[in-house]
Amino acid sequence: MNHTSTAEGAAVAASVAASPPGTAAGIRERADPRAVLADRVDQLYGQMWLSILTTFAIGAIATFEFWELRLRELVLFWWGLVLVITAASATLLYAYRRSADKAQDPGQWLRWLGIAALASGANWGFAGAVFFPSHTDEQQVFLAFLLAGMMSGGIPVYAASWPIFALYAAGIVVPFTYVLATFGNRLFTEIALLVPMFYAINVAIAYRLTQVFHSGYRLRHAYGRLTEDYSVLNQRLERQLVELEDARRQVEASGRKLELFAERAPIAVLEMDGQGAITEVNNAAELLFGYTAAELIGRDIRFLVRPEFHADFDKRWKRMIDTHTPEAGLIRNPRRDGIDVICDWTFTPLVAPEGTVIAVLAQGRDVTAQREAERVKKEFTSTLSHELRTPLTSIIGSLQLINSGVVGQVEKDIAEMTVVAERNGQRLLDLINDLLDIEKIESGKLTLSPEQIAIDDVVREAMVLNKAFGERFRVRFELVSSLPGRSVLGDRKRLLQVMTNLLSNAAKFSPENGAVEIRMEDHGPLVRVEVQDRGPGIPEAFRGRIFSRFAQADSTASRQKGGTGLGLAICKRIIEMMHGRIGFEDRPGGGTTFWFELPRT
Amino acid sequence: MPERPLNRICYVEDDEDIQRIVRMSLERVGKMTVEVVGDPTLAIEAMTTFKPDLVMLDWMMPKMDGPAVFRQMKLRPETSQLPVVFITAKAAQRDLDELSKMGAAGTISKPFSPKDLPDQLREIWKKLP
Repeated sequence: MNHTSTAEGAAVAASVAASPPGTAAGIRERADPRAVLADRVDQLYGQMWLSILTTFAIGAIATFEFWELRLRELVLFWWGLVLVITAASATLLYAYRRSADKAQDPGQWLRWLGIAALASGANWGFAGAVFFPSHTDEQQVFLAFLLAGMMSGGIPVYAASWPIFALYAAGIVVPFTYVLATFGNRLFTEIALLVPMFYAINVAIAYRLTQVFHSGYRLRHAYGRLTEDYSVLNQRLERQLVELEDARRQVEASGRKLELFAERAPIAVLEMDGQGAITEVNNAAELLFGYTAAELIGRDIRFLVRPEFHADFDKRWKRMIDTHTPEAGLIRNPRRDGIDVICDWTFTPLVAPEGTVIAVLAQGRDVTAQREAERVKKEFTSTLSHELRTPLTSIIGSLQLINSGVVGQVEKDIAEMTVVAERNGQRLLDLINDLLDIEKIESGKLTLSPEQIAIDDVVREAMVLNKAFGERFRVRFELVSSLPGRSVLGDRKRLLQVMTNLLSNAAKFSPENGAVEIRMEDHGPLVRVEVQDRGPGIPEAFRGRIFSRFAQADSTASRQKGGTGLGLAICKRIIEMMHGRIGFEDRPGGGTTFWFELPRT
Repeated sequence: MPERPLNRICYVEDDEDIQRIVRMSLERVGKMTVEVVGDPTLAIEAMTTFKPDLVMLDWMMPKMDGPAVFRQMKLRPETSQLPVVFITAKAAQRDLDELSKMGAAGTISKPFSPKDLPDQLREIWKKLP
């Protein structure tokens, strides 16, 4: 590809590839007129040295030829004009060559050249007008020959701009024709008539040549621009090709990654079509079911589902296909050896942009062992519950009978010991109960039996039940404000458990002979119950985890005060299951307020 | 509420220690007459001869559990009308609901306080038709 000069390139670069390439005429239209003019001006200046040299040389010869003593001043003046014009022209040429931005304003350079051409032409015309009448016939022939030569010689020099040629030639012809016409000689008068005709023919030729040049330059620029467009397009295409290649590589890499991931994954991965026919399985799936990939591919996925669950499976499959949303759940899968495995499956449909399901990806994790472990854990919990409570019933029961004096009076020292034994038996029982509650909460097996409860009744009952506990710490419970008749939806036994927890905590941490204040109040749509103590407050570091399991501010506290550190965690869960909230805040003047809120019914 | 006060209790329980505690609680604290049956398969027979006001059944027993004894009682005219209270260390709410539907008078959970047991039974007794 030919690249055009930088000046043209700059002009072309302004608007690239905006219009589509069309016919030849269309192509020519795409050339920038200023750039075409600049090219023509450049051509004119490029030939200028020739005209300068010619003018100087021919001027010198003519001066020598016309030299006569009687016309000495005139000839010298004319020669002076020749020198001035050649010098001025040379300066103009020099200025043009040095100009850095000549392509910016070619019109101005053309006008300067026009002036130079007119001056040069007029100088020859002056020679014709002045020297023709005063010289001999031979010299007149010389002059006529000279002028005709100068005029026709101007054609190639100024062909790139016919108006300049017209100006130049007019400068020669007009004075000379005038002199010929007014000479009074018939021959000369006839020549004077012919000269304008020659002039017209010459200008016509120049005009024609200008057009040819113009057209040529325009084509050159138009093709230059096309080339430019093409190369820009080419570059863009190349860039896009590179990007495409990159994208392809990335897709390939992530595809390979995904493949590796599925292949090496410890979970079974199966790919199916929209109807459920298996198209791909990974290693883990082969190991899990005991079939090779070849045996599985092409079979329906229901092959791996126990027949009695097919109806349910079909229902969920249809829902997944219809809604394009993943389905997850446990499925009992028969293995090759006939033993069932229970897997936790996720079925994800791959949906094309137009909405059709291209494939379904299934990921399955064998949870058989996990479920067995859960069952064992449950059995263990149940055993713990029964086997520990039964002997405790006997221990606490017999100690209670002794301590209550039913079986007769015992010695003071013995009584002291049996009280200690009963209290710690009770503590052990509390711990077991709390552990069982936590276990139930964590396995999601804690169930409530909600009913309408009068909050006032529950709070008063809790106060009665815990009165003895408070007395042990020399703390009394005071009901400061109450909400008679206000009821909430909750589990009575569990709500009592929460109140017992809050009251016994408050009692444990209150100073001796202090009072724990209990308040009930309306709190928007909620009923709020507050238990306020005058204790030492909750240490800063402990606040964040006060409702966590085994949370106790001071591990020595459990030995001093009793308690398992599970109470508040259980309370929080119970209150949340009743759609309420539980929390605490510092009590102004020292102490802590624990509160819970439950929706009013 | 029945006219006469609660006096005669039949208790079916396999654990001998708990038998003793309950007997002491009901006899000493509650001033009641107690017949304890250690083998649940002999329970019906014992009830027929003892003629209790109220029967207490332990939930978990070898050979035959409390609910099974209860169902058998329902089949005999001599025992079908007797009020029954279950003593249980663990029971799902569902099972308890089932038993109240079948006509159990109440439940007392283990561990119970022998000090309070007679009062708890009297509370249940008071609520009977």
